Amino acid sequence: MIEGVKRIDTNEWEVPEGFIPGMRVPGRFFLSESLGQSLEPGALQQLANVATMPGIIKNALAMPDIHWGYGFPIGGVAAFSLEDGVISPGGVGFDINCGVRLMTTPLSFKDVSGRRDLVDQLFHAVPTGVGAKSSLKLSPKSLDAMMTTGARWAVENGYGVPRDLVRCEESGCMKGADTRSVSVKARQRGVPQGGTLGSGNHFLEVQVVREIFDPVAAEAFGIREGQVCCMIHCGSRGLGHQVCTDHLKLLEAATKKYQIKLPDRQLACAPLTSPEGREYFSAMAAAANYAWANRQMITHTTRQVLSRMFRIDYEDMPLVYDVAHNVAKFEDHVVDGKSMKVCVHRKGATRAFGPGSADIPHELSSIGQPVIIPGSMGTSSYILRGTKTAMERTFGSTCHGAGRIMSRSQAKKRMSGKEVTENLLKEGIIVRAPHENAIADEAPDVYKPSDEVVQVVHDVGISRLVARLTPVGVIKG
Amino acid sequence: MSFTELPHTADVKIRARAQTLEALFSDAFDALMQVMYGKDRRGGTSKEIDVESSDNEALLADFLSEILFISEVDRLVFSRAEIRIAGGKLHAVLDGEPFDPSRHAGGSEVKGISYSGMSVTRDTNGYMLDIIFDV
Repeated sequence: MIEGVKRIDTNEWEVPEGFIPGMRVPGRFFLSESLGQSLEPGALQQLANVATMPGIIKNALAMPDIHWGYGFPIGGVAAFSLEDGVISPGGVGFDINCGVRLMTTPLSFKDVSGRRDLVDQLFHAVPTGVGAKSSLKLSPKSLDAMMTTGARWAVENGYGVPRDLVRCEESGCMKGADTRSVSVKARQRGVPQGGTLGSGNHFLEVQVVREIFDPVAAEAFGIREGQVCCMIHCGSRGLGHQVCTDHLKLLEAATKKYQIKLPDRQLACAPLTSPEGREYFSAMAAAANYAWANRQMITHTTRQVLSRMFRIDYEDMPLVYDVAHNVAKFEDHVVDGKSMKVCVHRKGATRAFGPGSADIPHELSSIGQPVIIPGSMGTSSYILRGTKTAMERTFGSTCHGAGRIMSRSQAKKRMSGKEVTENLLKEGIIVRAPHENAIADEAPDVYKPSDEVVQVVHDVGISRLVARLTPVGVIKG
Repeated sequence: MSFTELPHTADVKIRARAQTLEALFSDAFDALMQVMYGKDRRGGTSKEIDVESSDNEALLADFLSEILFISEVDRLVFSRAEIRIAGGKLHAVLDGEPFDPSRHAGGSEVKGISYSGMSVTRDTNGYMLDIIFDV
């Protein structure tokens, strides 16, 4: 482990105050010994940087998929007091409400095994990759409605069923969105991209449930072994990226105005009570809603393809859940025995609310929130459930994915996209992307093994394993 | 004029060295376009942009963010930038072409220009830049 870090427990480590000057609280992160071998010093430095921010409560936290990002480390979580705390785009990221959702189908593995036509049809139906254009013609009024009511706008416009909303974090619509805080530039980027997947690590996968760890929770989530599911991973596209860019500039000025000292410019922030802080929150919420509507539209397209190909009812493909993993939110948490509202930033971390939480679907109140952890394209994805331990220790948060261990240029040098595709095909996984580079970039072993990452959160108890899924069809952006 | 890619697990880190600030910014511009659209980029369509910022890092971040915006909204892929910098103001004339999926789809979408890990320094050999693109 990196020098200066203290071991607290088998999978828990502390970055003590004084690791860098100006820390207000210690940093804490969860990592197994073996995952610790690939931990970058830059990621720890970023965790310590977060601990210097005004109004931070208890600890700057990082989940076991911690890696070197910008502003917060990826896997970073921090809660801020409403009275003297701050809000920062560096704790959310450029891709506001990047998130993931899982939808079940009545199909079984044998129905989809080797079906290249399914992957081809999904690939043609969902615009993907750099420069992809939406077939949807969004009017300025529709864009406003989309940013105000999120997935609800999508459902009201025929892109889903009301039940989908119950199965989204925040019901797919974050309160407090104000489209007046969203610039003309961000709107211009948002109009042509509704319903597009994007590129990078974003994907649409056809997966099969391979293993059930928790039968009671799996049944409550509507998941059975052998079942075909679809997982969608994407965010707020250029609209969200522009909101972050615009407000980073505004908040940089606010950082000076409010005389906040920061070790990294990307952590630019403003007091939650300030006009600048409130404005960023309202724009971020609008972008988050755009992302929920976007994932809802891609779900709709996916259902249409499956309905047509397999003659199954649209309504027989319910959503298990939709989680946001790049977002700042106002939530109630118990701090020092007292319930209080705080602003939780999750940058590459997933909300994992436990049983009894008011903000999870009523029918899952005894189980906990479904947590969706995507793997890389050749490895398993996992469904977990939120826990009371997460509420007590991580402001109701857990990991969000596997976390890269190899750069994109290294990945491309090592193996071509064609080779990766052929290797995956041997394992029964059909991959399609607009360009083979996108496949080489995202080869399975450029990520930490997802199994090890989820085992840590399971062992620490900040979420518990429910099911494991593996891909049979992958659409990369 | 040149740039190199440095190891970075999650994103793309670029280092460039140049004799003038204008040449340094031009290298960063070239790196951004290459990461997004590859090397086969041609001219024919021109655009002019103006950016004003408080210091060199902010000027670079704002300049590249503006390129990201124009490239996406106008669906243009740029091959060259003539840059003038004076008194915290940047003026650039860009030369490019419409996005062509057959030649430009192999890159990575850049989500934003990060201040984390960004530095513009100057010594007797000229300017050096480190920058991270969020992809």
